Amino acid sequence: MGDKENIKRILQEAELYQGQGLLNEARLKYDEASDLVRNNPKIKNKGKILAGLSKKINLLEVDSQKVERGPSSPELSSKAQDLIQKLFSFSKEESAEEAALEGALALARFGQFERALEEFDKLMANDAHRVVAAKNILRCHIALDSEETAADKYEVWAKGDMFSADQLETIRIFLEQVFENKGLKRKLTVVQAPAEAVVEEKQDEEFIDISAIGIPLESGPGKGKVVEFDVNFQSGNLLSLIISQKDGKLIENLEVDSSFEDLQFYSPIAIFNGSGVVAAKSEIKAGPKQGDYCLDIKITST
Amino acid sequence: MAIFNLKKREIECKVVYYGPGRGGKTTNLEYIFKTFRKQITGEMVSINTEGDRTLFFDFLPMGLGKIKGCEIKVQLYTVPGQVQYSSTRKLVLRGVDGIVFVADSLAVRRDKNMLSLKDLQANLKEYGLNIFKIPLVLQYNKRDLEEQGIPIMSVEQLDHDLNRQLKVPSFPGSALKGDGIGVALKECMKLTLKSLQKELKWAQ
Ligand SMILES: Nc1nc2c(ncn2[C@@H]2O[C@H](COP(=O)(O)OP(=O)(O)OP(=O)(O)O)[C@@H](O)[C@H]2O)c(=O)[nH]1
Ligand SMILES: [Mg+2]
Repeated sequence: MGDKENIKRILQEAELYQGQGLLNEARLKYDEASDLVRNNPKIKNKGKILAGLSKKINLLEVDSQKVERGPSSPELSSKAQDLIQKLFSFSKEESAEEAALEGALALARFGQFERALEEFDKLMANDAHRVVAAKNILRCHIALDSEETAADKYEVWAKGDMFSADQLETIRIFLEQVFENKGLKRKLTVVQAPAEAVVEEKQDEEFIDISAIGIPLESGPGKGKVVEFDVNFQSGNLLSLIISQKDGKLIENLEVDSSFEDLQFYSPIAIFNGSGVVAAKSEIKAGPKQGDYCLDIKITST
Repeated sequence: MAIFNLKKREIECKVVYYGPGRGGKTTNLEYIFKTFRKQITGEMVSINTEGDRTLFFDFLPMGLGKIKGCEIKVQLYTVPGQVQYSSTRKLVLRGVDGIVFVADSLAVRRDKNMLSLKDLQANLKEYGLNIFKIPLVLQYNKRDLEEQGIPIMSVEQLDHDLNRQLKVPSFPGSALKGDGIGVALKECMKLTLKSLQKELKWAQ
């Protein structure tokens, strides 16, 4: 095959890969073509051809960066939100309430906080799930950057009779811990249990509440240090952290499947160590958290 | 897990299109949506990110009518293929009854096919499912590119890479042109219903 034809064929491949969104593959082909042009003494207007190629490569870079910046958590249509809720309500045959909780958690995990709030609000009517729903309502408000709303919510609950004194105490400790992790000194009303009250049985949640996590960094700008991040959402052993743009550099080197042996977990009752693995990492591209990162860590053992 | 509603005599099952990013899963569903109008029972919903990449999933509901006295409903989903969406991929796979694995015939995507199949196996395992037992078919997509002189793998090569141990039905095709798409889905449905019938014993 003639050199010219060969180059043409390679460029055709590059363009096809680009069109299909296979950007790395396209890049390799453009590079291959550039090399062939550069090293071929027979080609006359090299400068012009190479300039044209590097322009194409630049455009490709722009596309790659857009893709690498990861998913946006778009505000979805209510129809799409309904679908997410339905799709992730796996227990609908066994228990309608359990399914409703799963659906609401999924909405929160996909960044649909406003809608998740509505669903958690509905779950407040349910005795068995009230405490879990309440905690998640507070988490949603905090994810939406309205700490005050979260505190106000608690105060309303503290005055009402929806929760027992014990339950309120669980919620208060949880929320104060969240505030403390954020460096906020917000004190919440302590509700005294009536003296004769019998201690209610603890709700069995599948995993202890973790409010913050310490990650030892093995590379990057924070190498050798343990950095602490708040946990924004938790479902079982999966922790979701929202990491601000300015801390982005610290987690630059963490990738999906990176694992850690010595994570520190901070819970309202204890600090303990364990291992975990990065389950997902992405940048938030829209909404109030735009530019921040979302990191999911799965606890593998404690 | 399929839902079997005894009273209404109705079965709702879940088929997931799995495979490497950009392999053509969404295009498969779009073709099915356009072509099998009679069986489509609702809108196709897609949640995409930059450059049409699937962000959460695509969803398409179908109804196959009555089979052995039971109304069969199927929900088709695609997972996001890009590596970084692994936790979404796993969530979408939950409760799966049958799988169409869409492999990319492009020679440059050889490794990605194999990695994605491995990822499928690992995710199924976490749900207590075995890739050797679950209803599964392979679809070798983008065969049309051969005409344009783009290097693609032979069917033998793909079979060797992906199907040597699995030995499941495989279908060369093109989601863009619609070749091999319907047959792959039909075979997957056949295997899925056979396996559900064994499990739920609705036909007896
Ligand atoms: N020539 C050709 N192109 C195809 C075919 N199937 C899909 N494509 C193209 O490949 C690209 C990716 O297709 P999608 O259907 O979005 O791939 P996907 O598997 O859903 O990708 P992710 O959502 O990122 O996992 C698009 O540009 C499609 O037009 C095919 O059979 N032939
Ligand atoms: Mg897709």
